[in-house]
Amino acid sequence: MSMLRVLHAELLKLKRTLAFRMVFVMPLLIALLQFFALWRSRTFGADFKLWETLPTNMLGIWAVFMMPLLITLETALLNGIEHGDRQWKHILALPIPRHTVYLAKFVVAQALNAASTLFLCALTVLAGLAIMQLRPELAGSGPIPYGRLARHAALVWLAAWLIVAIHTWVSIRWSGFAVALGTGICGTFFALFAASASVGKYYPWLLPMNVFSDERFAAALWLGAVGGAVAVLLGCLDFVRRDVA
Amino acid sequence: MPEFMIETRGLTRRFGAQLAVDDLNLQAPAAGVYGFLGPNGAGKTTAIRMLLGLIRPDAGEVNLFGAPLAADRQTLMRRVGALVEAPSLYPHLTGRENLEVTRRMLGAPRALIDRALDIVKLTRDARRRVREYSLGMRQRLGLALALLNEPELLILDEPTNGLDPAGIHEMRDLLRRLPAEFGVTVFLSSHLLSEVEQIAGHIGIIHEGRLLFQGTLSELQSQHRARLTLGVNQSEQAVHCLTAAGWGVEMRDDGLLSVSATTSEDAVRVNNLLTGQRLEVFHLAPAQVSLEDIFLTLTGGKTAAGRAA
Repeated sequence: MSMLRVLHAELLKLKRTLAFRMVFVMPLLIALLQFFALWRSRTFGADFKLWETLPTNMLGIWAVFMMPLLITLETALLNGIEHGDRQWKHILALPIPRHTVYLAKFVVAQALNAASTLFLCALTVLAGLAIMQLRPELAGSGPIPYGRLARHAALVWLAAWLIVAIHTWVSIRWSGFAVALGTGICGTFFALFAASASVGKYYPWLLPMNVFSDERFAAALWLGAVGGAVAVLLGCLDFVRRDVA
Repeated sequence: MPEFMIETRGLTRRFGAQLAVDDLNLQAPAAGVYGFLGPNGAGKTTAIRMLLGLIRPDAGEVNLFGAPLAADRQTLMRRVGALVEAPSLYPHLTGRENLEVTRRMLGAPRALIDRALDIVKLTRDARRRVREYSLGMRQRLGLALALLNEPELLILDEPTNGLDPAGIHEMRDLLRRLPAEFGVTVFLSSHLLSEVEQIAGHIGIIHEGRLLFQGTLSELQSQHRARLTLGVNQSEQAVHCLTAAGWGVEMRDDGLLSVSATTSEDAVRVNNLLTGQRLEVFHLAPAQVSLEDIFLTLTGGKTAAGRAA
């Protein structure tokens, strides 16, 4: 019950915040980029398949770059509003278990990430339909692969749990925006180098991308989702024991 | 109703090598205002954070409403409202929305928001965003947050900090009304005695983590009664003579003595004792000690004994 009450309060806190707007802005950026790239493309090869290329590109950019960035910003903003006026001392003096407060923050970050990923899927479909209208040679691209799109989006989201858990802990543990942003930027930046290395199989910021690789798929899901669940519990344990300044 | 709304036993907390709160035994009686006094850095905020369960004590225990806090914090905190230092507000939300956030967390009825706004007189500004609020309005909204759940005990840490004289006056009036009109016990910290002496029935004075005094203002005054200022030709011999006779004596910087005698009969006895020893008394006068002087003396703000005695 207390979890539902805290989540209800978290919803109100999101009102008029950048955190809420980012949910829509980030997928829109990828959709516009892909839409213009395909619309303005001079020719399409004979083997070009719109409903394979477009979802793969959209979810690929999302998994490796935009989603980690979104998670960084969302968690930093969500928890930054609690550091601003040192709200923790008010919230944690209320008759609510501390672990509920922490887990609610994780759930909200996860929900925003899920909503944003879902919005990306909707934009993928819209962008594809628009391109089919604007480029007659692609008009017969076949049915929209709703099932595959939904499955891939869900896998990417699941594999990102570890990133969400890490950022939830970092952005609650340190009050400065710089620490949270620094962690996200470094994590995403080093992913570029880790991608081709064997360590890339276990690198948290690459896990959402790894679900598209047969060889790395199992590790990505296990480490991403189960590792994420373990990480959020460890972060929660730290939060529950910590003094409130 | 328990005798004490707040009772701590041997409450101790260290930060590294520094002992922030040392063996603190607070007893705040029900109904009324308890002033928790001490200079900045005396350990007030650390003690209050332990009362609210925000930090854990190294030793000792906190009892609220006669029950140990450690055993069931959730249930006890339902009956407590708190405002620790500056109010914790979301500037992008309106005053009412700020209260709504806390109301949702508590699962309290909506009507309590209007009640809290009414008590702190913020109903008219409730729909404005908090970033437009003055410091005084923010402080009142902080108090409204603390009052939201109709608490029996209100714990406030320096609620007038940073307010202008009008804001301080307003806050003081508000706090004075709470016990009488709503039956709330108010536990209030401050570094200024003048801020609480008009509203607090009981006070506790903390300095360097230790409780130096606890009781009513009149008890504090009676423990530090007026002293005699004494001028005598041979001060050292007079000190020896008076000390041997059981009087408390302090030598002042200006060469006069301060004697722990209070009544006019005492003055006569002191005079007779000294003249009997062939010492020449040229000055003998009682001096009142103000509460502020007592507070400053206790907390080492100034050596008021020398000035006031």
